[in-house]
Amino acid sequence: MKKNGVNMIKISAKNVDVFYGKKQALFNINLEIEENQVTALIGPSGCGKSTFLRCLNRMNDVIDICNVQGEIVINDFNINDKGCDVVRLREKIGMVFQKPNPFPKTLYENISYGPTIHGMAQSKQEMDEIVETSLKKAALWEEVKDRLHEPGTGLSGGQQQRLCIARAISVQPEVILMDEPCSALDPIATAQIEELIDELKKEHTIIIVTHSMAQAARVSQNTGFFHLGELIEHGSTDKIFKNPENNKTQDYITGRFG
Amino acid sequence: MNKNKEKLLAKRYSSEKRFQFLGKSAIFMALLFLAFFIFKIFSTGYTAFQKTWLIVPVNFDAETMYLDTNPSKEDLEDADYFEISLQSMFNLDKNANEKQQNELKKMVSYFFEREIKQELINDPSLLGKTKDIYITASDDLDQVFKGNYPRDLPEKQRRVTDYQLKIFDQLVEQGKVESKFNLSFFTYPDSREAELAGIASSFMGSIFSILVCLAIAFPVAVLAAIYLEEFAPKNRFTDFIEVNINNLAAVPSIVFGLLGLGILLAVFQLPRSTPLVGGITLSLMTLPTIIIACRASLKAVPPSIREAALAMGASRMQTTMHHTVPLSMPGTLSGTIIGLAQALGETAPLILIGMVAFVNTIPGSPMDPAASLPVQIYIWAESAERGFVEKVSACIMVLLGFLIVMNLFAQIIRHKFEKKWS
Repeated sequence: MKKNGVNMIKISAKNVDVFYGKKQALFNINLEIEENQVTALIGPSGCGKSTFLRCLNRMNDVIDICNVQGEIVINDFNINDKGCDVVRLREKIGMVFQKPNPFPKTLYENISYGPTIHGMAQSKQEMDEIVETSLKKAALWEEVKDRLHEPGTGLSGGQQQRLCIARAISVQPEVILMDEPCSALDPIATAQIEELIDELKKEHTIIIVTHSMAQAARVSQNTGFFHLGELIEHGSTDKIFKNPENNKTQDYITGRFG
Repeated sequence: MNKNKEKLLAKRYSSEKRFQFLGKSAIFMALLFLAFFIFKIFSTGYTAFQKTWLIVPVNFDAETMYLDTNPSKEDLEDADYFEISLQSMFNLDKNANEKQQNELKKMVSYFFEREIKQELINDPSLLGKTKDIYITASDDLDQVFKGNYPRDLPEKQRRVTDYQLKIFDQLVEQGKVESKFNLSFFTYPDSREAELAGIASSFMGSIFSILVCLAIAFPVAVLAAIYLEEFAPKNRFTDFIEVNINNLAAVPSIVFGLLGLGILLAVFQLPRSTPLVGGITLSLMTLPTIIIACRASLKAVPPSIREAALAMGASRMQTTMHHTVPLSMPGTLSGTIIGLAQALGETAPLILIGMVAFVNTIPGSPMDPAASLPVQIYIWAESAERGFVEKVSACIMVLLGFLIVMNLFAQIIRHKFEKKWS
């Protein structure tokens, strides 16, 4: 989706402030996210990168004391507007969490849940197809095709996380938010997920929060560095890792703090 | 320095040993009490499941009953059985004087003529013949046969006379006294006569009360719990409600009885002594128990499941109904059963709303007067007759059995259906 050699902007955050009660967690974040690219958000613990991610599908609504200000424009539409319907928004913007959280139901039910509540399949056959393509895209089909009706919680950690990814893509979201998706996984499972992310970016815009700078360097095209609730620096991953402008970024990347 | 350390270590070990010893002896004490309690109930109660019968030859003489030789069914129903019944008892001792005849009559149950009548209705061909009939012995003789009655008391202090004992012993020698399973204990309603008293009315009363209680308490409590836990904003008002629900759980049950008396009976004029009123009163008591259990099991559902559903674009209602509530159901159900088991054992509120009345019919619906098992225990425990002593224990056994089954059921639900979160 390139226009004149420049990537289209999918999401743009303007002057976003987030408060937990009286405590301010994010300060004036301005960030543009390119379509069909992987954007990594890095930074030390508690820097606000997950909070920012959760602003993008309004998951912060669940927290009573959380208050988000500023504009987040997706497809020319400010999702912080009163008129924004969170159910429709979250249909378009999927999310994968830090800890694999499959529903304690069968694999099939895990995948079909989203399409069911959004009325995406007219028949059992269509639903079967959605389940199959979602699992195939998540590179899980071959491993589980014979036990679709067994509980999803019986899978290994890495498989569970891929199941959660399959569940997220079952409703064909435009954007997938990933909140440290590999932090609970071993290196092999992590490698599988990273490979998957690379594949998924063809059809989806991906934003990934990660603790691992190596991972950010491997999977992302763009990187944003957060520190103490501020976005210190953002740009192409290459530039951030090889030639950062800001000293703090430099220090964090080289492992001097964090 | 080193010596000090050694000392300290020894002290720490010995204090642990002391603690373990105290804990073990506490458990031992508890088990001892329990064993004593159960032994006492079983040893006094098991005889209630047996009943003593006298086998008495009865002459179904048509003339004495004012019957034709070929009577219709109605005729049999209307016939006079008193005379032949009386006569067959008097025949046990043909030389008895009037006073002794009166004593002979009292050797069997008060309603013995009904048993004789039933025999003829079941088999009309007996008319004109003599047959040995099983007749329920009086409760006092029943106790004598079971060995619960002291024979060495002076006659004046006994309810069984020397003459009755003599005749009874003769019957025993002839093999005319038999002990059989006491089915009537389960099928008969309460009675003033211990040998005829059963738990049918109180058992049905308890079942109906529990059903009414479940039908009211469960939906109200679950809705309240879901709303409070999943939808209500967390503020001072909801905190206040939560504190008061917990307070409600600690209110003495008799207060709920007063509420039932003052509101259900006095204001709404609902029928007195019925399982309907009993069930509503008990449901007030069970409500906080179920709310607390349901909220606890909703809380135990990990937030990650809610987030997963919300992130898929489920509304809050869908998240709650599709995921959280089904996952919390095992805990809620077992809490409900435990709440019902508490309600089942409750006596005080039921006494206040009149379920303590003497009921000698078996209720067919929650609108009929009935007793309940614990109230039945209370009523019988107040009775002076020796025959009721074993009945009290037997009724306790039935109630305990009922409770054990319910608690077992709660445990099974909890273990079998509760999801494990890794």
